Amino acid sequence: MREFEVVSPHARLVRWLLGSWAIFVYIFLFAPILVLIAFSFNANQYGTFPFTGWTMHWYGQVFHDYQIKDALFTTLRISAEVTVVATMVGTAAAFPLVRSRLPFRSGVRIGMTLPIMIPGLLIGVSLLVLLTDVFHMQLSEQTAVIGQSVYTTPFVVLLVAARLQGFDPALERAASDLGANTYRRLRYVVLPLIMPAVFAGALFAFTLSLDEFIITLFLIGAHNTLPIYIYTQVKFGITPEVNALATLLLAASLCLIALAFVLPMTIRRVRRLVRA
Amino acid sequence: MSETAATAPAVARGRSRLGWVARLGQYVGFVPALGLFGVFFALPLGLIVAYSFWETIDYNVVHHWTVDNYRYFFSVSTYVHTMWATIWVSVLATALTIGVAFPFTYWLVRYVPRGALQRLLLVLVILPFWTSYLLRVYSWLNILGDGGAINRFLQWIHLTHHPVSFFLYDRPAVILVLVYLYFPFAVLTLYASLERFDWDQFKAAMDLGATPRIAITRILLPQIKPGITTAVIFVFIPILGEYLTPQLVGGAQGVMIGNLIVNFFTGAQYTRGAAAALLIAALIIVLLVLFRRSLEVEDPYRA
Repeated sequence: MREFEVVSPHARLVRWLLGSWAIFVYIFLFAPILVLIAFSFNANQYGTFPFTGWTMHWYGQVFHDYQIKDALFTTLRISAEVTVVATMVGTAAAFPLVRSRLPFRSGVRIGMTLPIMIPGLLIGVSLLVLLTDVFHMQLSEQTAVIGQSVYTTPFVVLLVAARLQGFDPALERAASDLGANTYRRLRYVVLPLIMPAVFAGALFAFTLSLDEFIITLFLIGAHNTLPIYIYTQVKFGITPEVNALATLLLAASLCLIALAFVLPMTIRRVRRLVRA
Repeated sequence: MSETAATAPAVARGRSRLGWVARLGQYVGFVPALGLFGVFFALPLGLIVAYSFWETIDYNVVHHWTVDNYRYFFSVSTYVHTMWATIWVSVLATALTIGVAFPFTYWLVRYVPRGALQRLLLVLVILPFWTSYLLRVYSWLNILGDGGAINRFLQWIHLTHHPVSFFLYDRPAVILVLVYLYFPFAVLTLYASLERFDWDQFKAAMDLGATPRIAITRILLPQIKPGITTAVIFVFIPILGEYLTPQLVGGAQGVMIGNLIVNFFTGAQYTRGAAAALLIAALIIVLLVLFRRSLEVEDPYRA
């Protein structure tokens, strides 16, 4: 790329300006999160500036708050159910999406991703009307599971479909030529190949469900998930305890996402070791 | 994609010997998804359409077809004003998001060597997308506002004694946070198209005497236009339906149509809320249909 500097006298300046812009962007992206984390260790009881000393006190409060414990268990129960539903439904749908002779394939693909594109507000509100006004259901953890499944399933579809598209179809034909029936082809060829994507999809679904706010707000009724609990606390102002809880939730999401990226690679490596 | 397009007929031909059972069998995987999306996504959205044309009498929804809900919405000037404000805020926030994201992505693709470093810098930008949406909005409350870091800091260094109403519960705060929230979407889509751009064409244009500006406007921009359109759509649509950001940082001045919709529904005015929701949904569907081509290009959520 050095040639550009010869051609344009301003190249060095442009490069410097763009580089500074990038630094500004990273500060913009991470400053709010770092401030939040810093304040969660701040001894100042108003949870804000100035910084009056380091403390772990707020984390202790988080662990002893029974409301938070309650919300945590509700969140985990919902996320577990959503993960199971989204992973099964999404994986099943990925097969025909990639392999069947489907008319309007790209149309169907866009249709499948609509629940991600449409604002969550519309999904939440419309499900609220359907479930309470037409089906006459009580709002509960189950109604929240329904709403979150609609939103997370498309992510699993996309991940598994990408993996299905990526592997060599000759492998399956070879299995077929060697006498494997549909079940055996699926069990011994296809499933092992797409398993990493299915795991990654499940982890994504779990993380998204853990953090989901807007759909849950409409469908959870009188219960609390962690995001809903934080939202109700924020209405009374920022507290260092909420900052500590927020930090823990952020750390959990990041760990899960890192796992979702690393796990497929690890699975492949372990398999190779086992075979060798 | 082309690979599967070639093999799908081959697979299907192999199966056609088994007749129509197998032909239908290839779609079996869709059944659970069809159930989930049909009953809990398409049906409720259809229901909202119907509700918006029915009326509420004494808190009961009566199946009388009418356009009164829409007439009511447009007869209240605050609502109409909020609708226009929402569109205006969405346009401005989208323009700013792309305006911040484009130079950044250009820098990332052109000046950072391809490989591990570039990938790491990209992942750092996308990382916030996978953390809690609520917490990303909430994190700004620590910075903006009366008791936020900016004001406390100014008071602490004795620059001022009263909170400065800079970025305080108003529209600029909403736009700032929206840019923050949707920035990763924009970078991801722009990166996908800039990364595929052939920089040799750029060099060739300059060898033939084009200035960098002409090379950008005549060679680069026309080729990555679909990527820019996709980025605009992916940022604009979710912002139209924003509820939380105006709720937490917007105050009375920053209200958007999402807040109106929620107020209608929590106030048990289902049919009026449905009409307001449908106005947003209709706008989104029009945009999706108009720009469906650029949505097929890339799959920006792929990890």
